[in-house]
Amino acid sequence: MFGFLKKKKSASLAKDRLTIAIMSDRASNQEYPFMDELKAELIEVVKKYIDVKDVVIRKENEGDIEALSIDIQLDK
Amino acid sequence: MGTVIAIISGKGGVGKTTATANLGLGIAQNNKKCIIVDFDIGQRNLDMIIGLENRVVYDMVQVMDEECSVAQAVIKSKVNENLHFLAASQTKDKSVLTSQKVEKLLTELKEKYEFILLDAPAGIESGFEHTIEFADAAIVVVNPEVSSIRDADRAIGILDAKSQKVKNGEEVDKFLIINRIAPEMVRAGEMLRSDDILDILNVKLIGKVAEDKGVIDASNQGKPVILDKKSLAGQAYSRIAKRICGENVPLEDIESMQQGMFKKLAGMFK
Repeated sequence: MFGFLKKKKSASLAKDRLTIAIMSDRASNQEYPFMDELKAELIEVVKKYIDVKDVVIRKENEGDIEALSIDIQLDK
Repeated sequence: MGTVIAIISGKGGVGKTTATANLGLGIAQNNKKCIIVDFDIGQRNLDMIIGLENRVVYDMVQVMDEECSVAQAVIKSKVNENLHFLAASQTKDKSVLTSQKVEKLLTELKEKYEFILLDAPAGIESGFEHTIEFADAAIVVVNPEVSSIRDADRAIGILDAKSQKVKNGEEVDKFLIINRIAPEMVRAGEMLRSDDILDILNVKLIGKVAEDKGVIDASNQGKPVILDKKSLAGQAYSRIAKRICGENVPLEDIESMQQGMFKKLAGMFK
């Protein structure tokens, strides 16, 4: 078995490992280009009704489903 | 109006500053007015690589804070009059940068220069984000090695999310330089091939640079390796600079080159 592993050149092993690691990195990427603007606008809207401390927006992936989780922290 | 190009990498130590210095000088050698700006605040290094560390009086943060003018802070290269340099601040930290200040500085530089190259800090924090925010294009520098390629992909992801051009619905051009290629290792299957790296990263290749001991020797002297006409890395940077200036220079087959012999042996290894 060790001999079999040795035969596989390390460059192709690197490619396989990188492909998987980067696919997983990209899937968990939390950014959309509009996130900063969305956050600023949300704060403006909510502020009309109640004081806001911070808004935290996260992109969440589960399987094929993408969701935005928006956490509005209120100022006491 | 000049073009702003951010030189980015994600991981540190892959040759970003060396690339910035050499491409800046290469562009200047093509008779284009070019300025290289060190955006690595707190870790100034471009001044050493370009050999101008003793000439720095004002830095880019002082320009942004209006403590001096661009003309006062800019340093002219000793080897090419088309190349100017703006140093990073060594005493402050990355938090001094704001979008407004960066945009104002770049707007001013775009009026004066055809190319503005920004040497980004390593990592993907705020200093990096400010470097890419107003860039028209980015050059991504990687080494053919897993950690560099993975980090570069993260940096590209941030570029696609935070660039002002992308936010305006445009695309930011991205080009890849594969640096420090060891041709014998690639031929032996012990180093990633350029094609493999391009399969993984979603960017256009603009050049390949072979591992070259002359790069360290050049940095010791503060004379970019592009000045050494015999150097493989210098020749590679010279070709990339021409491509940036719009010349159609075919991509070279570095992997098939035998070190020291300058001879193509592609046929022998097929």
